[in-house]
Amino acid sequence: MPPALLITSLLHSLQVGSLYALMALGITLTMRVIRLPNFAHAEFVTTGAFTALVVSHFLSRSPAVILVSATIAGAVVALLSHLLVFRPMSRRKLSTYAMLLVSFAVGLILRYILFVLSDSYQLFDKRIQIPMQILVRESFIVLTNFTLTIVPVSIACVMALALLLARTALGREMRALASNPELAHILGMRVERIRSLTWLLTGATAGLAGALWGLYTFVNPLLGWLAILPVFAAAILGGLSSFTGTILGAYLVAFCENTLMQALNHYTGLTFSFKAAIPFVIIILVLLLRPQGLTGFLRQNRNIER
Amino acid sequence: MNIDLGATLVALLTFFGIAALMALSLNLEYGTAGVPNFGQAVFVSIGAYTTAITYTRLLPLLAGKEVIWPCGPTLGPALQLRTEIMTSNPGAGFINLAITLVIAASVSGFVGYHVSRIALRLQQEWFLALVLLVGGETVRIFVRSYEPVICANNGISGVAQPFAWLGNPQQSSILFMVLVLVVTLLTWSYCERLVRSPFGRLLRALRENAAVTRSLGKNVALARARVMLVGSAVAAVAGVFFVLNTGYISSNDYVVTLTLDMWMMVVLGGLGNNRGALLGALVITVLDRLTAIATIQMNMSAIDLEFNYVRYILYGIILLLMLRYRPQGILPEPAAATNAPDLLTEPDPYVADS
Repeated sequence: MPPALLITSLLHSLQVGSLYALMALGITLTMRVIRLPNFAHAEFVTTGAFTALVVSHFLSRSPAVILVSATIAGAVVALLSHLLVFRPMSRRKLSTYAMLLVSFAVGLILRYILFVLSDSYQLFDKRIQIPMQILVRESFIVLTNFTLTIVPVSIACVMALALLLARTALGREMRALASNPELAHILGMRVERIRSLTWLLTGATAGLAGALWGLYTFVNPLLGWLAILPVFAAAILGGLSSFTGTILGAYLVAFCENTLMQALNHYTGLTFSFKAAIPFVIIILVLLLRPQGLTGFLRQNRNIER
Repeated sequence: MNIDLGATLVALLTFFGIAALMALSLNLEYGTAGVPNFGQAVFVSIGAYTTAITYTRLLPLLAGKEVIWPCGPTLGPALQLRTEIMTSNPGAGFINLAITLVIAASVSGFVGYHVSRIALRLQQEWFLALVLLVGGETVRIFVRSYEPVICANNGISGVAQPFAWLGNPQQSSILFMVLVLVVTLLTWSYCERLVRSPFGRLLRALRENAAVTRSLGKNVALARARVMLVGSAVAAVAGVFFVLNTGYISSNDYVVTLTLDMWMMVVLGGLGNNRGALLGALVITVLDRLTAIATIQMNMSAIDLEFNYVRYILYGIILLLMLRYRPQGILPEPAAATNAPDLLTEPDPYVADS
């Protein structure tokens, strides 16, 4: 494979992988603490992207303002869907499938509300208005300010989230809730407050990921939905428990989607229309062959639950 | 604007029949046996792709003509050949339809039977839902990228209804409606009998508690595989009729939203209740048609609102409200009927009359 293609695709993998990691951590967190496979996470991401788009068009072009407002929007939407839908629903003691369906329904409503809004305000396939600057152009390596925003910001966020879970009191409470809700309740933890904070956190990371994802491509209402299954692939590679595993999984999925796809195309002539199937094949293979995910390769006890 | 009421009714009932077949298949799998099939669209699509293959490869042979490659430069002549046979040679058309139904049902049933085996290897219960969802999307991507099945992105058009040779579109669509409704009725009565049979009891026991069922010496894996076989076969039959009704096969029809439509029908009508599945199918079909008509009306009066969007928002809200306030559906599952009460009221022959 020519080095130009290789390096470009590796850069793509790095960029996409960082974003997948950010989204997959949110999924893992809801999966563990709330015990919900949350498909509506996709729409929290899309909401963030649209907020970034609208802010950049009408309010401010400063990247900091744009990213922060997207983060807030994601957090607000997540908290609202928790308070209005998920919390009342979980009191009904529905089965996991029914809760899965509920998260589908929430996602569906949000997605098509975004469709209606972007239809009436002509927001389809617009770009976030941050001017792209090419910072480094060494023969075939092109580094833009986008890459240099997306990668460090998402890695910093992932680190912050990991620290929060490992070192703070809130993190400890979240881990306790993840491992045994009844016991957490008996010990007098304010379970509802921890749940709300978890939703805020996942929503915030999703919103931020959405804004960064919007920098990477065009913004449209299907943005999150198209990313969610690869993100699930990353989370499942991580065994839906460990942070290290999830992050590794995210980069691995991105690597397969970009670099491996590029290599397959170059050596076997496989067309790029198969690219979307790669994460799906990963999900199926992992669930069938190694449902505990990557973590088995690493240390066993490095789970959130500890 | 005046709407042709008769034609609308025929179209509505045809759609209802097809939707009811899909709802019955999902109700059998999830409502009765508790297998969360989030990939039912893929079994419908197996029916559709089988139709694509038989109508382009088998139909000319049955009519004694030479097969023309359906894609690329020979797309036009192949389409013409299909239409010509369908309008002039009813015998070939019917034999082809029968073969299509048999192949579609067997292939889909075979796939469903083996997919259910996967469930045994999965650790958490919702993984099966995810595997089915993702598996459906994978199949779709492969079909979309691999030309020989349905000409990749182009799809295959000109798959006419089996009564097209009558030359009268009104009559042929009425006859097609009757055919679909008869098949639906047969499937419904079959499902009813199945649910009431000992096998149906086993399925419900399996849904309530697989571990207990296993401890009673029942082969849980086999029961699950069998119900997937039946459900998938019914879904594939629905897929064949779906294609014959629209006349066009595109991989874009068999996406997650189709599966979601089926879930809507079952959740709305009532899990585990076959009448509920029919009711759900009717409600969703009517909603679907109403939004389609409303869209045309709105566009004519220059109001720029895409009704498909509103429809999905509405679906989401209905789904949430149903799960929140009436998770058992409009028609709840009927209590299992046995002869026990009669036995209790009958005089006991062994008690000596004093």
